[in-house]
Amino acid sequence: MSLDDKLKSLRENGIDEAKRAEKLQELNDLRVNLLGKKGPITKALRGMKDVPAEKRPEIGTLANNVKNDIQAAIEEKMTELNEKLVAHQLEEEKIDVTLPATKQVQGTKHILNQTIEDIEQFFIGLGYEVAPGYEVEEDHYNFERLNIPKDHPARDMQDTFYLSDELLMRTQTSAQEGRDMEAHDFSKGPLKMISPGVVYRRDDDDATHSHQFHQIEGLVVDKNISMADLKGTLEALCRHVFGDEREIRFRPSYFPFTEPSVEVDVSCFNCGGKGCRICKYTGWIEVLGAGLTHPNVLKMSGIDPNEYSGMAFGLGPERFAMLKYGINDIRDFYLNDVRFLEQFKGVN
Amino acid sequence: MKISIDWLKEYIPVTHTVEEMADKISLTGIESGPVKLGEELTGLVVGHITSVTPHPDSDHLKVCQVDVGEDEDIQIVCGAPNVAKDQYVIVAKHGSHLPNGVRIKRGKLRGQESNGMICGLDEVGVPAQYMPKEFENGIYVFDQPETPGQEVYDLLGLKDQMIDIDITPNRADTLGMRGAAWEIGATYDEKPSFKKPELDDTKVKDSNNLSVKVEEKALVPDYLVRELKDITVGKSPLWVQRRLWNQGIRPVNSVIDAANYVMIEYGQPIQAYDLDKLAGELTVKKAHDGDKLQLVDEDKVLNHNDLVVTSGDKILGLAGIVNGKLASVDENTKNVVLEAGVFDGASVRKAAQRHDLRDDASNRFEKGVDNGIVSEALVRATSLVDQFSTAKEISKEIVGNYTKAEPTVIDGSIKHINHLMGLNLSTDEIVKILDRLGFESEVTGDKLTVTVPTRRWDMAIEADVVEEVNRIYGYENLPNTLPAGMETRGGYSKKREFSNKLRDVLLGEGMDEVINYSLLSKKEVDDFNTIHSEYTKLLHPMTEDHEYLRNSLIPGLVRNVAYNQARNENDLGIFEQARIFNREKGVARPEEVEYIGGAVSGNVVNGSWNTKAQKTDFYYLKGIVDELLSFTNADAKFEYIATSDYTNLHPGQTAKILANGQVVGLIGKLHPKYQKSQSVDDTFVFELNIDALFDLNPRNVQSQSAPKYPSISRDLAILVKSDVQNGEIIDDIYANGGKYLNNVTIFDVYEGKNIKTNYKSLAYHLEFLNPNDTLTDEEVEKAFSLVKDSLVQKFNVEIR
Repeated sequence: MSLDDKLKSLRENGIDEAKRAEKLQELNDLRVNLLGKKGPITKALRGMKDVPAEKRPEIGTLANNVKNDIQAAIEEKMTELNEKLVAHQLEEEKIDVTLPATKQVQGTKHILNQTIEDIEQFFIGLGYEVAPGYEVEEDHYNFERLNIPKDHPARDMQDTFYLSDELLMRTQTSAQEGRDMEAHDFSKGPLKMISPGVVYRRDDDDATHSHQFHQIEGLVVDKNISMADLKGTLEALCRHVFGDEREIRFRPSYFPFTEPSVEVDVSCFNCGGKGCRICKYTGWIEVLGAGLTHPNVLKMSGIDPNEYSGMAFGLGPERFAMLKYGINDIRDFYLNDVRFLEQFKGVN
Repeated sequence: MKISIDWLKEYIPVTHTVEEMADKISLTGIESGPVKLGEELTGLVVGHITSVTPHPDSDHLKVCQVDVGEDEDIQIVCGAPNVAKDQYVIVAKHGSHLPNGVRIKRGKLRGQESNGMICGLDEVGVPAQYMPKEFENGIYVFDQPETPGQEVYDLLGLKDQMIDIDITPNRADTLGMRGAAWEIGATYDEKPSFKKPELDDTKVKDSNNLSVKVEEKALVPDYLVRELKDITVGKSPLWVQRRLWNQGIRPVNSVIDAANYVMIEYGQPIQAYDLDKLAGELTVKKAHDGDKLQLVDEDKVLNHNDLVVTSGDKILGLAGIVNGKLASVDENTKNVVLEAGVFDGASVRKAAQRHDLRDDASNRFEKGVDNGIVSEALVRATSLVDQFSTAKEISKEIVGNYTKAEPTVIDGSIKHINHLMGLNLSTDEIVKILDRLGFESEVTGDKLTVTVPTRRWDMAIEADVVEEVNRIYGYENLPNTLPAGMETRGGYSKKREFSNKLRDVLLGEGMDEVINYSLLSKKEVDDFNTIHSEYTKLLHPMTEDHEYLRNSLIPGLVRNVAYNQARNENDLGIFEQARIFNREKGVARPEEVEYIGGAVSGNVVNGSWNTKAQKTDFYYLKGIVDELLSFTNADAKFEYIATSDYTNLHPGQTAKILANGQVVGLIGKLHPKYQKSQSVDDTFVFELNIDALFDLNPRNVQSQSAPKYPSISRDLAILVKSDVQNGEIIDDIYANGGKYLNNVTIFDVYEGKNIKTNYKSLAYHLEFLNPNDTLTDEEVEKAFSLVKDSLVQKFNVEIR
């Protein structure tokens, strides 16, 4: 067989073998065997010396082509086998994505603290400081400084846990007002503070009463504070908490430490004001009490009511949360059933 | 108080529905709700009983023929004991509706046809406790002939419409119909008009047999009485009775009803005494300890704080609160004394509370009454008694004490009032609003002087004027603005930011946040008084469960674990951040200390299709605490020191947590006995003093490049007595490992098989690093030898 034919036959066999290969290893072996230094092509080219000189370039070219063709056939087959392998692997690795996850658990912040922090963030944004105050408070700050002297009928509105004649469990976060006003340096600007915290009342616990609950007191004292400021601030708050569409309304009320005093209603977030079970078919829900700081309260803190005025408001996070999430029993906040707590994961 | 529309119409025109009025009054003045009595009632008419015959088949039933204004009398079978011929009664005809869905239909009673029902007052909606006693066990009988067939609703006030006002303590001026008429009138821009009460001058004489004395003049600024002689006590007219029972006051007789009527009309309580039962001068004074007041159904033991009305040695009543039975007016009374007084609110309030006798009168004195109308109210009561009971002689006013009532004059500034409202009303607008309230105004430039009548004793200062103007003008007309002062930088305190950060760490560790009560039982404060605080106890607790201020967060956390595990929620990680109360001996006020505490129980990870269950243990919780401590950013040495000091914690699995040698908290497993008593599974708890952690110096963090040179490691396995603690070994390794010893970790602890008794095997991984140069094996080997030598010497370890 001429060298020419030999090379052609090697090509034919090589390509044929590459095509028939079923494993990558076979192809590797084939490459080494056919194209390696000890392979048949190299061996065949040793017969070049018998080829006439003028034909040598032609045979050389042929030999190169044969190598390339076999190489190409091997690579093509390799690609094909690799594809198959990957496809097989993917098939093997297929999982049931509906099986449950490996649990990664974050805890849930208590819904009351979520509610409180949401309100705190709102007021911080408006430049209010957060000042917590004492839970054990003096009668002086809890009552007298709020224009509620001993024997004032308003003391009947809130039964008090006393520790001694002068010490008590604060019944309202308003107790912080006197302390903040006397500590504030008005030459540095207005006093703007909220005071969140726990308060206590001598009440029997039931679905709507708790001997312990939370309040957030707000107080602004400056030279130009008005009822309109109070209304604007509280409407913005109610929109933040209950939704952009909300409106508020004031109703006259009475607190010894504010004058005028108002109850604040928010338009029902459930029915939008048309009337439903949540708003008792009135379209409005009472959410907090507020007013302008009583001049006596300012005076007792050494502030001249002719120069300064103040606005104050007090709201109940329990009430806010109960309204917003339809919680029916205030005791649920304090039982700490994890099934109750975890429903509020990430709501705020 | 319920404002009857029928009554209100005597003073102002009423043109709106009660619903509309209640809404409007709520928005401008006082929280109100509409009341519509007897909406369901139909078919109730006056009947005239023309004959009564016994029922042939019953002892107690009677067969009545009743004229109900129809062509023929109707037959009704009636079982009431007081039914009799010629009575005018309430008849519920066939098809009529009564309260609570009751429907009357014709039928037969033991064979006798009955075409309706003759009714008692309670059957047509008057509450039994407010109807006249004589009709308690039978049908109601009209005092005088009424037209048969006429509807009974107006006669008896059964369909009265009312506005129920829920006053705040400052608005007691509306606890009388007249005050309410002023308030509602101002709302609708209608001035009320009142008739001035008058006496029959021909009957008025000087009294010669009654003298009055007030010993406590400071507590009784006004005390006026009048006597009426030769009266005939009977029933008051129906129009008085129906108004009283609709106010929740039981009609009694023509004197007491007149007194109560005036209380509702004027807001001024009136008391009545039987003149012939007095034993001497009518005297208002303090009681002696142990004095007894005889009431109808009980005796009250008095003390020296009680203000009483006496006559000779008889104690007639508690002033402003209740009249006893010694001089009470009954149907035999011939001569009567009417009293109109003003009694100190605080004194009345305390006495009424002390004796559990709060009622309509004491409620008014507590909140205040108009001392400008005391005399007029007494005239009104006197004239009504005369009208209902016909006196022969009426005394002039007898004065025990009298204080001239002066209107309140308030100065204000138009500008300031506008400025506080955030409005810009004209002087005219303001003056007009004040006029609607019946306040006189005088304006000089910006200065406004308001003269407020005595009926509005709540008004005292300019701010009160602001409220009146603003509410009548309408809060709905206020603009919405925000305070426009200097900018302020808001935010949390540093400590609050610190505790927020720690809470976030625990949330990140998968623990749910809880909030517990601060008030604990005696047992709970005993259980974990690890800070050795004096207890702080409430003077008057409501229950034994909430008697003491908490001295630890752990009792609450354990309660939460128990609550959840009782509901089969067994795998728990919970924490609380709150205050505990630490009181020193001899100091009244406890210190309030911010704490953070947590509890874990059950599995950290539940077994699942791809994971093995992992139970919580001491080290799991310790890992959380370590992470928490590292987030304090404190430049401090934290240590865990084993302790068996705490009764309710496991003596072998509990540690005090120290920062720079000071105890800042604890971690441990609950004692098995305590766990059992609390019905909880194995539970691990910790608590840390946030205030103490916050006070530690923060780390001064300056960035360092990550080391460029590789570290060299050595492993060390030792055999050591079981009671030697890992902490001691680690400390010793660090102490001797030289300056390049960078990190030591324990990677194996083994006791048991192949290890001799009372020994354990520990294995450590030591990492050496020189950040500035390549370490040589020789350097490391030298340090490693020193470590081993020291361990052998100090702890007698065997190097393995």
